[in-house]
Amino acid sequence: MKENIWSRMLNLDRRWIFLLIGVVCTVPFFVPFGLPVLPTKNVISIFDYVETLGPENAIFVSFDFDPGTDPENMPMAVAITRHAFARNIPVFFTANAPLAQGMLEAGFTYVTNPNIAGYFHIVSWQEWAPYREQGITRRDRLQAAWEADGNVLPENASGWVFEGRDFAKLGYLPAFALVIMGMTSSIEAQYPEDMNGNPLAQMPMLQEHKNLRDVDLAATFSGSAACMWWVLYAGDTISLPIAFGVTAVSATDYTMYIQSGQLVGQMGGLRGAAEYEVLLQEAGYFEHPDRAFIGMDVQNAAHLLILFFIILGNIAYFAGGFHKKGALLKGRR
Amino acid sequence: MTLKVPLVLLMLAAALMAQTGETEEQAPPVEEPTISVEETPTLSPEPLSPHHGVDLAPPGEIMVVDNPDDAGDRLIVSFQPGGETEYPEYFAGYNVYRRVYGGTEDDWQLVGILLAGEGTAMVDGYDPDYPVLTGEQYEYMVSAFFLDETQVFSAPQKAQEVASGQWFHTGTTRVLITCALFMGLIFFFFGRAKRGAEMYLRPIAGIEAIDEAIGRATEMGKPILFVPGLSDISDVATIAGLTILGRVARKVAEYQTALIVPNRDPIVYTVAEEAVKQAYLEAGRPDSYDSNSVFFLTQSQFAFVAGVNGIMVRQKPATNFYMGMFWAESLILAETGSLSGAIQIAGTDAVVQLPFFITTCDYTLIGEELYAASAYLSREPMQMGSIKGLDACKAILMVIITTGIILAIVDMVAETRTLAWLQNLVTSHVTD
Amino acid sequence: MKRAVPLMIVLVGGILMIIQYFIPHQISQDVKDNYTIWIPIITAFALVLGVGSLTRLHGHKVRNRAPNWPYSLAVLLPLYLVPIFGLLLPASMAGGRDAPSVFHFAFMHIQVPIQSTMFSLLAFYIASAAFRAFRAKSMLATILLLTAVVVMMGQVPIGELLGSWFPRVGLWIIDFPNNAAKRAIGLGVGFGILATQLKIIFGVERNWLGGAGD
Repeated sequence: MKENIWSRMLNLDRRWIFLLIGVVCTVPFFVPFGLPVLPTKNVISIFDYVETLGPENAIFVSFDFDPGTDPENMPMAVAITRHAFARNIPVFFTANAPLAQGMLEAGFTYVTNPNIAGYFHIVSWQEWAPYREQGITRRDRLQAAWEADGNVLPENASGWVFEGRDFAKLGYLPAFALVIMGMTSSIEAQYPEDMNGNPLAQMPMLQEHKNLRDVDLAATFSGSAACMWWVLYAGDTISLPIAFGVTAVSATDYTMYIQSGQLVGQMGGLRGAAEYEVLLQEAGYFEHPDRAFIGMDVQNAAHLLILFFIILGNIAYFAGGFHKKGALLKGRR
Repeated sequence: MTLKVPLVLLMLAAALMAQTGETEEQAPPVEEPTISVEETPTLSPEPLSPHHGVDLAPPGEIMVVDNPDDAGDRLIVSFQPGGETEYPEYFAGYNVYRRVYGGTEDDWQLVGILLAGEGTAMVDGYDPDYPVLTGEQYEYMVSAFFLDETQVFSAPQKAQEVASGQWFHTGTTRVLITCALFMGLIFFFFGRAKRGAEMYLRPIAGIEAIDEAIGRATEMGKPILFVPGLSDISDVATIAGLTILGRVARKVAEYQTALIVPNRDPIVYTVAEEAVKQAYLEAGRPDSYDSNSVFFLTQSQFAFVAGVNGIMVRQKPATNFYMGMFWAESLILAETGSLSGAIQIAGTDAVVQLPFFITTCDYTLIGEELYAASAYLSREPMQMGSIKGLDACKAILMVIITTGIILAIVDMVAETRTLAWLQNLVTSHVTD
Repeated sequence: MKRAVPLMIVLVGGILMIIQYFIPHQISQDVKDNYTIWIPIITAFALVLGVGSLTRLHGHKVRNRAPNWPYSLAVLLPLYLVPIFGLLLPASMAGGRDAPSVFHFAFMHIQVPIQSTMFSLLAFYIASAAFRAFRAKSMLATILLLTAVVVMMGQVPIGELLGSWFPRVGLWIIDFPNNAAKRAIGLGVGFGILATQLKIIFGVERNWLGGAGD
């Protein structure tokens, strides 16, 4: 009888495991723990680097992931975008694949969604054309002139973002590795227009940052090896600072590039995004952390459950004497 | 005797690289302008600064030389500061102007800005709006500008050199030596193999199990699933996977077992189709080839996995091969295959996916074992020779790493800097 | 001819690209640019072949009412309908790619959730794989088990609560032993790539030729 219990435990139907995982991944959404998330050095280094940048700098935020890794990569991309917008750092948005462009749109929409507290209010390229015609293109003067003309920032908004001054959505181009190579010479040669058909040559942010040599950071978010293109074709050739935001599964693959100095830092998995959100909150940019922080409760619960299963399996293994028998049921159905 | 050639190559390479390391000097980093070319920093209107009324010496001694190791599209501009250094609190930076030699006053173009503190040298040619043309004679003028928007101009200076392209990038010398060394070793062993030298390769369980796995599927009357990775044809892991596919397909054709080869990349699909077709031809069973056995599924990563999982669940293959590049979907693939009861053999060079394959597959080819598979399966001398060449290259690397560890310990104990010497010898930072 | 021409293209192209790396002259850059521009062109044409293959396979199943043929219909219909909505129909007919077109709806509310769901399967599979694999069968397996537990607990806030050393030790394991092993495998893989590329360039490895190979 005793043996049956242990062998039954060892050969536990996978479906019980799946069911329990499903339960522990759902419950924390309704019963949040809210455990603190301590930022780690790899994420802090990205945050600190962005903190040194301002309206005179520029960064690239590259959505190099597809919908499959959206739950992990999107919070990271959103967090760094919000950080950049809060500091009025001009952001060029790119995507390495057609599906990634959809992710770019989704992420940008989230950051500029009026229904989300702390959003950024878009001023489109056409809306501020009159100011451009008057030669008002410097960030501080533009905002002052815009507000002086009676434009009031909505109550739940964090700030204005002017298209062509604060952001440019460049989007996807085929053979993206070649595009990165080309942008080391000229961004406009690769992207004559942005995704909305606005001419890049007329944008103040491009006039001030004509190629990747003038850019201060490229943050790439990827669930595959696409992020390495930035290191190979921009980081190593023109010493462009690169930051990675990768899935937890891939995170350990790239820590060696941080050690060698080829990366500024790395956000690994949902945890990395949660850490960045906590840093944003601690620095006073936003009142509350975002989706990634909420997701950490689920990770806590799931990790504990997996630990429980590991312990259970080992107890059954030793208590059932299987370590002596040297034979083990494979557990295949 | 047999080690003479590699040893000679190694000593020659080390001598050449040491020489390169001694003579090579790092060019000082040149700062890039970081603000708008059209705008220089200004404050709100200030009273005239003290330099007005004083006859300030302008910046001078402009030196313009060709930037080395480039395509002939850059010049290095440097100059000596003038009297502006006496008024640091009012001095904002330098403007660098350029025109084609002999042009008019209207031809001057502002090609660079160096803010105060950024030095007195810049590389001209990075700005795509003001490219430097090869062979064109330019002249330059530098002005020191102040916070009250006044400037003090230097005299125009004809560039001492014109931009010219070089035929060899001296920064890649060590890369060239290393390439020559490693390629030389591989070709040396190619030659040895062609001359019939005996070469031992240790057995790899995963490759030896391929025949057994195919036999199992044939006995059970179930198909074989072969996934040649999720990457494109430019990935070497995909090519290695397709090599194994060719061998597997030949065996499958002989045994008349069904084969299923879903592809994520259209080009990989066309190559895989040809490889399988050819394998059936060589096995003497061209009529048995099913054109629907090799197909393109989708380019979307997880949609591909969903499709392959569906094939596994519906058609229940007896044997699954995963040979190529895989990413996050590897565990989903392998676990579903494990659930379906198939024997699974995986091979990938994606280090981070190896743990998932090792826990769920019966056999796993780790890293370069995937590349060695073609040599194992074919037993062709040239293929075997390449494996031995690789081993020789790795031996050199192991010697360098071991030397580095010893030198690091020596530096810790004796407070010397011998490791820096080794680092300087073997590393090369090639920038554009 | 069928074999010689591709082999010659690869031989000449491969040697040219190796040499090109060392030559910064503009002529060399132009050669590289002209070579690499072919990549997106060939990829675009290959996509046509891929779509053709998919259509042929599933069209055959639908025509012959093969088992599970409705799933083949489910593949073919979106394959053609979604691009039609995205590219051909005007916004007035729910066309285009921006919200609220059918294309946008299909992407945001069908494709994104489905692909995210597929990725989320990893959570379930990791749990079952961990239950099966992490058993202290031997000394090495025990070390693997303990390392996995430490790294796992170091990654989540609850681990920090249980023991403040969890994240420190976990990060040390990732930064040092893990990186050492990764670098070793990576170096081996790098040499493997070098050898395979040389074999392909010089015609020793010909399986990539498919039917035109040995």
